[in-house]
Amino acid sequence: MHAVPEPAAAPDAEFLLRAVARGDETAFERLYDLVAPRVYGLIRRVLRDPAQAEEVAQEVLVEVWRTAARFDPARGSATAWIFTIAHRRAVDRVRAEQAGADRVRRMAGSATQTPYDDVVEEATAHLEQQQVRRCLKSLTDLQREAITLAYYGGYTYREVAELLNTALPTVKTRMRDGLIRLRDCLGVSVG
Amino acid sequence: MSTEIHALAGAYALDAVDDVERAAFGRHLAECETCALEVNELRETVGRLADSTWELPPPRLRATVLDQVRRTRQKGPGRADRDRVSIAASAQRWRRWTAGAVAAGIIAIGAATGTYVVQEERVQDARQIQAVLEAPDAVTEVATRDGGELRVVSSDSLDAAVVIVTKMPEINSTQAYQLWKIRGNAPTSAGVLAAGRNTGVQYVGGVNGYEVLAMTLEQAGGAAAPSDDPLASVTL
Repeated sequence: MHAVPEPAAAPDAEFLLRAVARGDETAFERLYDLVAPRVYGLIRRVLRDPAQAEEVAQEVLVEVWRTAARFDPARGSATAWIFTIAHRRAVDRVRAEQAGADRVRRMAGSATQTPYDDVVEEATAHLEQQQVRRCLKSLTDLQREAITLAYYGGYTYREVAELLNTALPTVKTRMRDGLIRLRDCLGVSVG
Repeated sequence: MSTEIHALAGAYALDAVDDVERAAFGRHLAECETCALEVNELRETVGRLADSTWELPPPRLRATVLDQVRRTRQKGPGRADRDRVSIAASAQRWRRWTAGAVAAGIIAIGAATGTYVVQEERVQDARQIQAVLEAPDAVTEVATRDGGELRVVSSDSLDAAVVIVTKMPEINSTQAYQLWKIRGNAPTSAGVLAAGRNTGVQYVGGVNGYEVLAMTLEQAGGAAAPSDDPLASVTL
């Protein structure tokens, strides 16, 4: 149980990000307080190592400042824009350091743990947001595992296919139809 | 819109594709408005998954970031297209790896799917390879064989192709996979992978006018003509 309530971020973040785009440092401080815990948490979930996560989070947050003017509200929310940058940087870091296939082999080869169970369980257990958790539960097991492994584990769909021992086209399809189901359940729309 | 590439929308929104696929899908999005809309919505959906990752960062991070922000010049609106940024980033990474290769003699380029081994003499091809992957008219064709993959990205305007061989059946060090470009019944060698390697990247120039790109198994160093039927081939 986390005592800290999740702030309802969406409109605020966009307002702040627009101010940041005009060079407003005070707005950036407020934006930092609003999103830094999720940015850091997401990166740490993917990278595991706290020191590396701190380093990448720093890069990402400065990147948000630097490129704020490129945020385009027609393409999505401010928070999604920020988390997209964060996730991409985390994943780039993981993949630059370990060739994908080796990473899977190393993890799959260690008999002491089943890495994907960890990722999936942790992801599900920590879902504080009622709605997201409920919607994730509405997916099939394969859809949910494919999505959480890719997102929280930072795996490519090829690695996910290998981890789940499932055919590549199936994994691709499950990621897409799972996200579509999640989108509809959450009532997400853009534009 | 090709259904094969469109099936990647979910994996793309999750950052679960490799650099080549990301570049190809980015080009696809530029031409397909409904696909771009779908990806925006899936990205937005994916963003909600970050809500569950709330974790307090070390307190010093705030001061570090704010300090750096005060010293960092902001960019103008410019292009909002993140995929161009991504390609530039991966090109930069590629260059970094290739620079290290001179010392290492041999390098492994992990582009998320496998380990692409590039020999030292191929390092100069890195820039040409990147140009093909980023070409606006680049087309990707894929053939599979025993769990391995022959992926060919070709560009008419550059008259060139990049062949990415991944996880083909294991071979011993006296053998090598060889590539052929074929017009009619006449195959021309398009390069030989390193002996014993079942994974590799090859730049192939002068592909216009050829109909097929194929791969055979030969003795190490390659052969003047294919010794057997292709193990895998794609139509150019």
